[in-house]
Amino acid sequence: MAEPVLEVSDLVKHYPLTRGVVFRKQVGAVRAVDGVDFALGRGETLGIVGESGCGKSTVAKMLVNLERPTAGSIRYKGEDITRLSGRALKAVRRNIQMVFQDPYTSLNPRMTVGDIVGEPYDIHPEAAPKGDRRRRVQDLLDVVGLDPEYVNRYPHQFSGGQRQRIGIARGLALRPEVIVADEPVSALDVSVQAQVVNLMDRLQSEFGLAYVFIAHDLSIVRHISDRVGVMYLGRIVETGTDTEIYEHPTHPYTQALLSAVPVPDPEAREHRERIILSGDVPSPTDIPSGCRFRTRCWKARERCALEVPALAVPEWFRPAGGPVAHDSACHFAEAVSIRRSAPGVSVPVEGHGNGPG
Amino acid sequence: MPEQHYEPEPAVAGAAIGGTVDVGVEEAETLEKRPKGRGGPGPRDRPRSLWSDAWRDLRRNPVFIISGLVILFLVLISLWPSAIASGSPLKCDLARAQEGSRPGHPFGFDGQGCDVYTRTVHGARTSVTVGVLATLGVAVLGSVLGALAGFFGGVWDSVLSRVTDVFFAIPVVLGGLVLLSVITSNTVWPVIGFIVLLGWPQIFRIARGSVITVKQNDYVQAARALGASPSRLMLRHIAPNAVAPVIVVATIALGTYIALEATLSYLGVGLKPPSVSWGIDISAASPYVRNAPHALLWPSGALAITVLAFIMLGDAVRDALDPKLR
Amino acid sequence: MLLEVRDLHVEFHTRDGVAKAVDGVGYGVDAGETLAVLGESGSGKSVTAQAVMGILDTPPGRITGGEVLFQGRDLLKLKEEERRRVRGAEMAMIFQDALSSLNPVLSVGDQLAEMFTVHRGMSRRDARAKAVELMDRVRIPAARERVGQYPHQFSGGMRQRIMIAMALALEPALIIADEPTTALDVTVQAQVMELLSELQREYDMGLILITHDLGVVADVADRIAVMYAGRIVESAPVHDIYKAPAHPYTRGLLDSVPRLDLKGRELYAIKGLPPNLTHVPPGCAFHPRCPLARDVCRTDEPPLYEVSPTRGSACHFWRECLNG
Repeated sequence: MAEPVLEVSDLVKHYPLTRGVVFRKQVGAVRAVDGVDFALGRGETLGIVGESGCGKSTVAKMLVNLERPTAGSIRYKGEDITRLSGRALKAVRRNIQMVFQDPYTSLNPRMTVGDIVGEPYDIHPEAAPKGDRRRRVQDLLDVVGLDPEYVNRYPHQFSGGQRQRIGIARGLALRPEVIVADEPVSALDVSVQAQVVNLMDRLQSEFGLAYVFIAHDLSIVRHISDRVGVMYLGRIVETGTDTEIYEHPTHPYTQALLSAVPVPDPEAREHRERIILSGDVPSPTDIPSGCRFRTRCWKARERCALEVPALAVPEWFRPAGGPVAHDSACHFAEAVSIRRSAPGVSVPVEGHGNGPG
Repeated sequence: MPEQHYEPEPAVAGAAIGGTVDVGVEEAETLEKRPKGRGGPGPRDRPRSLWSDAWRDLRRNPVFIISGLVILFLVLISLWPSAIASGSPLKCDLARAQEGSRPGHPFGFDGQGCDVYTRTVHGARTSVTVGVLATLGVAVLGSVLGALAGFFGGVWDSVLSRVTDVFFAIPVVLGGLVLLSVITSNTVWPVIGFIVLLGWPQIFRIARGSVITVKQNDYVQAARALGASPSRLMLRHIAPNAVAPVIVVATIALGTYIALEATLSYLGVGLKPPSVSWGIDISAASPYVRNAPHALLWPSGALAITVLAFIMLGDAVRDALDPKLR
Repeated sequence: MLLEVRDLHVEFHTRDGVAKAVDGVGYGVDAGETLAVLGESGSGKSVTAQAVMGILDTPPGRITGGEVLFQGRDLLKLKEEERRRVRGAEMAMIFQDALSSLNPVLSVGDQLAEMFTVHRGMSRRDARAKAVELMDRVRIPAARERVGQYPHQFSGGMRQRIMIAMALALEPALIIADEPTTALDVTVQAQVMELLSELQREYDMGLILITHDLGVVADVADRIAVMYAGRIVESAPVHDIYKAPAHPYTRGLLDSVPRLDLKGRELYAIKGLPPNLTHVPPGCAFHPRCPLARDVCRTDEPPLYEVSPTRGSACHFWRECLNG
């Protein structure tokens, strides 16, 4: 990997659950993020996929300092930004920007597009001389494919896809090195999603941006990412290059997730076997012991309840190497081809809805 | 429809097809092909804010027009009552007490022989003054405290919220009887002060709730992520979006404050004679309502119309500002 | 034909003018068949379903023409009371947001039982037993224990199962599912879709699946109707459409989906935006975004051309599109 711009190690965010009004007593914690590590190289895209409640959005908020981590560090070019405040924090913020999911709530309805895109310059006046701002804002609109003449319009005069372009323009204003995009296209119509994904692709090469691209849509994540991390209940359970994850997944959760993605091909439906996971994601207040996926895993054995699997290359894959040899937090990591389920993988077809037997 | 805003699409967002990489170029072409004046960014295409949209709605709403005209009229006569009632409201002639309508005295005379028309017109000033100033006081105090509580949360929020609970527990009329009866000043100020004291918690709650809702919006988060200061967040992002419900509630409250002033004056703890107020007149006229109903009817009618006008105005403003209808 | 919609027109009166949300839509479903109605937001797919169900908000909506033939009767001609009897008992609907479609202050058991006490006149005790049975049917674990719980105590997937149970309660002949899995996670989505299509086979129901997800459609549908700007632009058996779409909009949609098995440099993107329904472009509504558009497309609205006996396309140049 190229020289990392962002290094995250053992990131934790717990929200305390308290009881009582006057004498607050902590009765537990929502363990939203529970030990996440990754590194992001310059100009690289790291995709983070996971289902709702897996903590991926909380990770995003911590990266842009909207939430303070409970523990762990986020290093931007070697400097731990979680400990910064005041001027130093403001300086770092210039380099890490965010694109939000919902283009309908992420733009202030009382501000014109010009004011929205130009606001970064109001907050960081050193970034652009005053007389130059209007031109810069218009350039930004042009870059994201909007008519620069629209600076005086209000957000509600635009469609979802256009609003998302405005949000991206705002994110670009300070020429950041890293953009954290939290579900940037999931609120958009299918035909517009592709436009925005292409735009983000183009901007990446034009400005040398590094993306942390967070989404639940596996197809889009694969399309845009160089590396992918799969999150489950506050932790990354498997990480690798897009080929490693999508063609050679070894963690059962990744395998199930991939097999569940509907493929737009009716021919495939007869000969494709699905791993239908039983039950629901456990509550982050009550995380299972050992491996947190074991309550829904068809491979779970005694060891899984006792030992937390580390996120590392499983040792039985190490000698041979190849694409299966990537980090996977499973005691029984196994290579399967996800198009057809491999022999030996018991696929529970009956009895969903119940916990593992 | 005078203002047709966009065409099929506001001439925007061409995206790359197939191999075309440069979205910007594609875009520019789309724009040039578009005939001028048909929804493209031409001179007719004025930017519209939510406020101007609301104003556009209001202008067409008959409820707003009627209540607005009534209120405008009230404000004018409270500024220049002599323009339509040249006599003095304090010039009374006991000999004409309880007389009915006469030429030059269309509303007749009250129990003291004062001209009801003159007194009703002059009474508007008290009502409007109390209503407007009390509402301003309530709105400023309530929304500043409410915004701070909602924005910063924590201990101050808890303390202020409990304080409002205490104020909500005070019965308004009983509180007025107790507090105002010890004051001897015969001006509008004690009444206004009392209304502000009891009225701010209502606006406080609205403002606090509104700020908490707005605070959670992504655009506020986006500004925070840019490093915006708390005052910037509050003034630029939260306040403009949180103010609408405060305005609506304050407008409706204005009407009720006018009624409250009349109630307090009726009970003898608000304004006292020789001040002129609808409440005083209603109070004075009620003992002999059988003999001279007109003396009661005119001031109470004026009061009812005024209160109703403000409440209707508040309703119209709410309809125009309600984001759910947009 | 179990249900046949013919030339349906629905208008909405908005502050910017009259929006033709549904503009001459026709489709049909047989018993045991799954029809997927595919479209983006504003395509009129949900409004059509609401008109079929008779739950369209009027005003602002207004049905200005067409027929909805259900088992031979035109539902639009029925009185509201007769309509109500059809609703729930003979056709039922499943919504996207199960949490807001369930009453938060009633237990799920009570809500399920109500279907039987109101429509079937059962006693409370029998209805309760039926409710438990239904919850079992949709594979809610520990149904007997959970029947007294409230909607917020269930997860998203479980709530959607309860919605399915309510829709199934009176064994309707037709189910309309409006984006039933959009709000759910991928793994849960698969569970719910599988349950739904299994129950459909079991009861031999007609199913109208309204969705924007091309993947879900490919998994379960028999036929597809693609909607754009209030009209059906293509209607075909599922295999035909994925093999070779006969309308450029369908083609664009299929090409713009990033696929797990094909990682390319750039995604195909349909240019522009869906039209504002108060100002639909003249001629073919898709022409400003269409790579095949020619002069005739700007002036003449294309009829639904017959591509094959089972297939139609509202494109003047469907042959060209079909051949790629």
